[in-house]
Formats: sequence, structure tokens, C-alpha cells
Amino acid sequence: MPTLPDSSDPSKSFNCREMLQKILDGEATTEQQQQFKIHMAECMPCYKGYELEMAIKMLLQKKCNGNGAPPDLIEKIKNQISQITPH
Amino acid sequence: MEELMNQHYSETEKHRIFHTEFMPHINSMHNFAYRLTLDADDASDLVQDTYLKAYRFIDSFQQGTNAKAWLFRILKNSFINDYRKKSKEPSMVDYQDVETYYNSDEVNRQITPDLRVEALQDMIGDEISNALNSLDVDFRTVIILCDLEGFKYDEMAKILDIPIGTVRSRLHRARNLLKEKLTDYARKMGYKNT
Repeated sequence: MPTLPDSSDPSKSFNCREMLQKILDGEATTEQQQQFKIHMAECMPCYKGYELEMAIKMLLQKKCNGNGAPPDLIEKIKNQISQITPH
Repeated sequence: MEELMNQHYSETEKHRIFHTEFMPHINSMHNFAYRLTLDADDASDLVQDTYLKAYRFIDSFQQGTNAKAWLFRILKNSFINDYRKKSKEPSMVDYQDVETYYNSDEVNRQITPDLRVEALQDMIGDEISNALNSLDVDFRTVIILCDLEGFKYDEMAKILDIPIGTVRSRLHRARNLLKEKLTDYARKMGYKNT
């Protein structure tokens, strides 16, 4: 498993694949994102992996978000709730 | 429902919370319901049930906490209890088997994706949607929660009642499975592996 040693601080070396997942999952800190960005500039497999994963994520967001809830469903729910009277 | 300190909202408060904190999530809720049931009518029923339940149990919702995550959890539980049973899809996958299989080296070797960004850009139809829908419901769910709805690990763990470590590994496997499906589509579209 490839790891990237940070030349300035060996304790900061990280596992590329794990870091990529953290970024994709929205769990990476700003610092970790920066670190990965620097790393990607020098590592083609990581760059390609990142590009592909982000393209999939974008495609999901563009194509799989649905067309919104049907208006009659929204009305139905609102009506049902408004009919619940205090007791 | 989580055993939390119950609130005591007035009827006016309940209505206000319902309309200002719950209803704004209806589009996300409907998409989640549709992706779980894969049926438009079932999705609407599931959303309706969920909102009525949310109102009924509104005293267990604490203002200032994440209403969307709270609603998603109710929807997911309603789906498992009331819809999953009657759905045509093969019921509960034996998780042990799935997790063992997807942890094996064999699978990791298969997942050296030849998929290229250019192929994805040509997927202008329902390819990605069909690929997502074809995944087992548990894998589908984590992709929806993370990539479409932007939930964090700890929120997903609460919604799904699973440990954070399982959220992470399930997401990882779900992404690989989705990539496999997309690779199949790319091949059918004439993209050759390089």
C-alpha cells in the first residue's frame, strides 16, 4: 500500500487510498485536503483516482436527485397534519 | 425511536416545527424513499407514513438537532419494517457473506477500474441511476446518504444504527460496486480497456 512521507514531518505520512476515501466521504480536514492536493500533483494514480471518483460523485448529484416530491403528496401531508386537532 | 428526553411542545409549536423544520426536507425524503422502494407509489406512501410518524413522535425531536437526519432515520426504519418485507427484491442479504466476500483479495484485484472520466461524460441518460438502483439496498443507501445528501459518518451511523467503522467500509465497497457497474456500461458503450 503506497504511503506518502511528508518530508517536513515524517509523522504526517499518510495512506493515499484512505485519504482519498476521507476526501470523497467529506470527512477530511482542510489540512488533509491540502496535503492530498500537493501529493496528487506528483502522483498520477492518485490524480486519476481522484478525478474518476469525483466525476462519479458529480454524475450522481446531477442524475440521481429526483424531480422533487409530487405536489399532490405535499398537499396531502399538509392536509392530514392540519386536520390533527389539539386534544 | 431513540430513548431521549421527551419535549412537551404546544400544538402551535408542533405545527411550526413540522412546517419549518420537517417539510423543507420533503424532496430529499422523497428521493430517498424512491431509491429504497424503486416504486413511485410505494415511495409516496412511505414518505407520507414517515411524515405522519414524525408528527406523532414530534416530542422526541429536540429542536436545534439535525431534523433531516432524524427524519431519514424514521424513513429508513419504516422502510425496513413495513416495505422491505413486501418488496420483490430478495430480502436481507447475509451481511457476513457480503462483507467477507468484498474484503477478499479477489475482489480487490477485480477492482482496478479501467473506467475513464470520458466514458462517464458520455453517460447522459439513466446509466448512473440504473447502476445505483441495481446495487443491493444497503450499499445503495450509503451512497445516497453520503454523495447525494452529504451526511457525515456519525450521522449515517445514527440513521442506519450501525457503527461508524461499518459506515466507512460499506461506503468503500458501495463505491467499488458502483464503479464495476459503470465499467460494464462503459464497455457496452464501446469503451475499450486500455
